[in-house]
Amino acid sequence: MGRAVKNGLVQNAILRAVTSPAISRENPARSAALPLGRLPEGERVIEARGLTRSFGDVLAVDGIDLDMRPGTVVGLLGPNGTGKSTLLRLLIGLVRPNAGSATIAGARLVGDGTAVRKRVAFAPGEIALYGEMRASDQLTWLMRGRGRAAEAKAIAMTETLGLPLRKRIHEYSHGMKRQLLFCAAMGPDLPVRILDEPTEGLDPAKRSQVLELIAADAQKGRAILLSSHHLSEVETVCQRILFCYKGRLLADEDPATLRRLAARSGRLDFASETAATMAAQALQGVACLDESRAVERSVFVEFVEGQEPFGALASLEAGLPKGAERPIGIEFGRLSLTDLYERVYGVRGL
Amino acid sequence: MRIGMQNRAAILTTIGYFVVLELMLVAACLYWPQFRDNTSALKVFAAPVPVLGDLVSYLEDKGAVAYVLGQHFFKGCSVLGVAAAALFAAGAIAGEAHRGTLEIYLARPISRRRLLTERYLIGATQLCLPVFLSTLTIPYLLSFVNETAAYGPLMLCAAHESLFLLVLYSATFMISVVGRMPLKITFIVLIFAIFNFAIYMVKTVTQYSLFRKSDIEVLLKVYEDGVPLGLWSVFIGLNLAFLGASLALFERRVP
Repeated sequence: MGRAVKNGLVQNAILRAVTSPAISRENPARSAALPLGRLPEGERVIEARGLTRSFGDVLAVDGIDLDMRPGTVVGLLGPNGTGKSTLLRLLIGLVRPNAGSATIAGARLVGDGTAVRKRVAFAPGEIALYGEMRASDQLTWLMRGRGRAAEAKAIAMTETLGLPLRKRIHEYSHGMKRQLLFCAAMGPDLPVRILDEPTEGLDPAKRSQVLELIAADAQKGRAILLSSHHLSEVETVCQRILFCYKGRLLADEDPATLRRLAARSGRLDFASETAATMAAQALQGVACLDESRAVERSVFVEFVEGQEPFGALASLEAGLPKGAERPIGIEFGRLSLTDLYERVYGVRGL
Repeated sequence: MRIGMQNRAAILTTIGYFVVLELMLVAACLYWPQFRDNTSALKVFAAPVPVLGDLVSYLEDKGAVAYVLGQHFFKGCSVLGVAAAALFAAGAIAGEAHRGTLEIYLARPISRRRLLTERYLIGATQLCLPVFLSTLTIPYLLSFVNETAAYGPLMLCAAHESLFLLVLYSATFMISVVGRMPLKITFIVLIFAIFNFAIYMVKTVTQYSLFRKSDIEVLLKVYEDGVPLGLWSVFIGLNLAFLGASLALFERRVP
């Protein structure tokens, strides 16, 4: 929606920004009184309460609540090592929680979680397969306990994605292995699918194809929980986006809210941290801004609702003291997930 | 029925282990006449190691059956079997963890108890089946050197040897359930076995060696007197304890 401009003055920036009339950081699907991750009363296919898991001194998942309805795709986002994969593993019983409970598709998460795994298909984030196996054998191995119909469907999906099943796994590329795991997870006719970074390592065409398959699957009433690092893909298919950080949920948004937030957010890059700090202070009083905050050599700004972009940028320019360093780059209306996450939650490293 | 690649590998390993055991047995049986006729020279040769000297005297006294029990079970199965037990068990779960495949192994809708029991039984079968199959050929092989041995008592000896090997297998299996480095586990178990074999040869401490529980004297006793209930109870108890502990530990194993 906007364009980054390097080494230019603010007033010369050519921008296409989208502003929106109503911006809220609250997910309209949730009531304000509800804790993050929860949904109001109604049919829930996943209902987790206070899931907690630590490894030694490290608290990987810290009391997370999570509700999901059938027919929805929920994206789980967060920096590396923030507990996303542990949360997914907790939900399918691969890791036992230290505290909390979960009910998935009517099965309580108890013992080794076999009852849950009979109702949930899972694609792991880590790609480790048996290199010496043929892909067809590997798929059969993965589909054990799922039935012939599920295996047939998984095979059909490999054909859709163009995977050569006669090849051995060690001949497969990273992306092909990822797709094989995805096919195995999409084969069974189950109410819930949990996909850990299903598009990681895929080329753009395959990524779109996989996202289309996920969206089509959700339309059949399945609940799909997927983790990702790409805002563009989660906003394409997800109805809700959960931000995870240090084992906790930071936010529960819908993609439209995020888009609107991105549309009125900007980033000014400066040559030095000092210049950024000074600019952030100078911009505190500018009328068109809701907020300005310096993070290292950048200043993140949030414009007031309905602000006309050229006027806003001119106000910014005017807001900077005379003789102060000018920004060397501007991003407006199209912040990346990393930037947005950093601006809204002050979290780096997504 | 379709045989998966992993099962095919297990079958091939079992066949390989059986072939090696059988070749050693064939050589041992056909060598019996030369051994019998040269025991005096062997005793002189074994004199520096008193335990070995006693062994040769014992074999000279007890004849072909004791000799073949020693060759097949004590030398063949115990030496090769200990290595096989360590190899089969060490990779059972630690191998999956080392390859990174433990997550997909556990993510299928199959209980951990079932997964582990299957793994245990496959390895145990790989370990014990060749012992029984090769033992079945002993009477036939002995007939080439005009000697005889009874099937029933031989099978009891095979069962005794299998139980002995299974103790080591089960203990290694339990370590594998909590470990991530199969090679390291194999190495540790083999060092332990070699140490036990070494102290078996030292007369002052030989009674502390695990191999005392399945040496020629014990095996001949099994062959002649039948099941040693006390010792078998200990073997079975240890196997069940290690398997139970493995199941308990595996329930909480993190991929």
